[in-house]
Amino acid sequence: MLASLVAGRSGVVAGALAPGVTQGGLDYLPQLLNYLANGVVFSAIIVLGGIGLSLVYSIADFANFAHGDTMTVGAYAGLVTMGAVGSAGPELFALPAGFYAALLAGIAVAAVVAVATHYLVYEPLDTDSIGLLITSIGVAFVYRALIQIQFGTGFTEYDVATLRPIPWIEEFTGITVTEHEIGIVLVATVLVAALHVVLQYTTLGRTMRATADNEALAKVSGIRTERVITSMWVIGAGLAGAGGVFLGLYNQLSPRMGFNLLLVIFAAVILGGIGSVYGAMLGGVVIGVVNRLTPVLSDFGVPIEPAYANAIAFVIMVLVLLVRPTGIAGEGVS
Amino acid sequence: MTHDICGLGRRDVLKGVGAAGIAATAGCVDLGSLGGGGGPYEIGMVDSQTGSLSAFGERNQRGRELALADVNDVGIGGRELSISVQDSQSVQQAGVSAAQQLVNQEGVPFLIGAVGSGVTLAIYQSVVQSTDVVQLSQNSTSPELTDFPDLLRMSPTGRTQSSALADIIGEDGNESVAITWVNNDYGSGITDAFLNAYDGEVAYEASHNQGESSYSSVVSQMANTDADAWLFVTYQPEFTTMAQEAYSSGVDDQATWYGADSVQGSDVLENTPEGSLEGMKVVLPSAAVDQENYQTFASEFEDEYDRTPTAWAAYTYDCVVTAAITIQAADDFTGAALGDTIRDVTRPEGEQVTSFEAASEILSDGSGPSDVDYQGVSGPIDFDENGDPVAYLQILTVQDHEYESTGFITGE
Repeated sequence: MLASLVAGRSGVVAGALAPGVTQGGLDYLPQLLNYLANGVVFSAIIVLGGIGLSLVYSIADFANFAHGDTMTVGAYAGLVTMGAVGSAGPELFALPAGFYAALLAGIAVAAVVAVATHYLVYEPLDTDSIGLLITSIGVAFVYRALIQIQFGTGFTEYDVATLRPIPWIEEFTGITVTEHEIGIVLVATVLVAALHVVLQYTTLGRTMRATADNEALAKVSGIRTERVITSMWVIGAGLAGAGGVFLGLYNQLSPRMGFNLLLVIFAAVILGGIGSVYGAMLGGVVIGVVNRLTPVLSDFGVPIEPAYANAIAFVIMVLVLLVRPTGIAGEGVS
Repeated sequence: MTHDICGLGRRDVLKGVGAAGIAATAGCVDLGSLGGGGGPYEIGMVDSQTGSLSAFGERNQRGRELALADVNDVGIGGRELSISVQDSQSVQQAGVSAAQQLVNQEGVPFLIGAVGSGVTLAIYQSVVQSTDVVQLSQNSTSPELTDFPDLLRMSPTGRTQSSALADIIGEDGNESVAITWVNNDYGSGITDAFLNAYDGEVAYEASHNQGESSYSSVVSQMANTDADAWLFVTYQPEFTTMAQEAYSSGVDDQATWYGADSVQGSDVLENTPEGSLEGMKVVLPSAAVDQENYQTFASEFEDEYDRTPTAWAAYTYDCVVTAAITIQAADDFTGAALGDTIRDVTRPEGEQVTSFEAASEILSDGSGPSDVDYQGVSGPIDFDENGDPVAYLQILTVQDHEYESTGFITGE
């Protein structure tokens, strides 16, 4: 397959090295840093999506294929809110107050939709994790169909001006990042840090970890696992909603936006160790950065184009799993 | 065992006879309806109602509705035309199952489809090729389709588009070009044809996938070359992302941009920053805008949909009208008969007609397929031996964040 991909096209790229490479390593550095910076921004979105996927896996015990579309739900909820609130008002990271309202709405709506889905669909179903997995694919189609009915199949974007790179960063480092991208990374970091605090230092976090470890034991210890599961959906889907809003800002909104990203998120979560929240964070960063670093290969004359970034991400996932079957941060098989 | 088979009860025999009788009657009804009167002629259409190419699906829907209204105002020998439309989701797998349903289950002898060239080819190779069903693509422009003579299309091959792009990029004084193309039959077809036609330096040439969340790596790589022309052979959402990312990285004015037809659209203008596309040139297949029948079509279209038609809507309109004329001209409503007829009704040596009504008048006099030469609203059609129509191309240039027409090119 790979051979035919490489051989199938005329080898113009393979023949020519990127200018920076030919002129000596140092000139290539800004380009490399740019790829890295892109990777960090991309990772932030993957991490936000990955955490929820991992939480659902560890507590509700199934791979939730509707998770990507939960992100889409959050993004569109943000679009509606932004339309209602408008883009006037004070700005932070060149993002108007309306965008932060959209972010909160995206989190809230995604959480409400996920909890409702849990009580209406997953909870009443008396089936195993494979049954739930297949059900979640159906749920994903329903989410997407509803969004298509309401918003059409085309693409759109938030009413936020696309920015130029920040001049002084570009001048000193050659890295082109916008305030929006910095905003995405910082807000994502805050959300992830908040989750860390909740998991480590609150009763909710302890009960969540207990439920994830052993639901039956948690139950007999007096933990209301039903409430924990609801909280898990709120947190996981809320973060997915935030990821969706950021994805909409980073790129644009379309009904397939979340689903298109889902496989990469799965790769990140499995690489990190499925069921481990911290693994999902780590895996998200690794997959996101690797994904964006793919052009380095063709810059150095390796005839693998950026189009195969996802394939490479999965190859890395498989390699890691061969060495460490439980993923980077996964617990040992008991 | 033998005894059992011989020992069919009277009841079983009666049942069998009854079933055979019903089948025979059904056959009779079917045969009878071919003569005149009866239910509508049903043909199939695979369209991109959702997915990357859904903008085309919307345009096609308008063209189809308008054409159906025009055809059914007149009727095909007293019967109506009906089109069973299935969604391809702009992807191959869904497109093939849509076509399978239409061809194998609904049994349509004439299939309009599809939009994306990859989807069209997949449908042709896995569903249509082994049957005598006639497939007519409404929007596919990949040069690869030319290799399949029995696969017809209404939109001209991208090869003409590619050579036009190569000419324009050369004439504009660009010394080298960086190309990014969507990794499918459409992208590779247009790009291969471009590379054949272009004799300048190619500084960068790589593919990207449809539906990615970011194309920043593609944009950085293109920016890292010193190419003074960037050519985008991709779809609207993908191109919009690239334009935004080029703008966010401050590299959008580093080169003059050129695009294939599929990167042009009002959604692109709406979702890209003002000024980011300034001077971009796009070559796209154009309808026969100077023809009277196009102007009639355009005004009908504007009355109905309150917007000016695109060439894509015109292609779909012509697909439906051509299908209707073919059905009327053919001896039989079967794939084989329609396939024998369709080229004749669009090619010279017949009386030139510009509407279904006019064609229908000639055909109802008992004239044959070669007495009609349908001149579509999208152009003269004239399907050649490869199933391709004659091309008519328009150059659009982005000025003040609007597309302005800056010339026409005709190609074979």
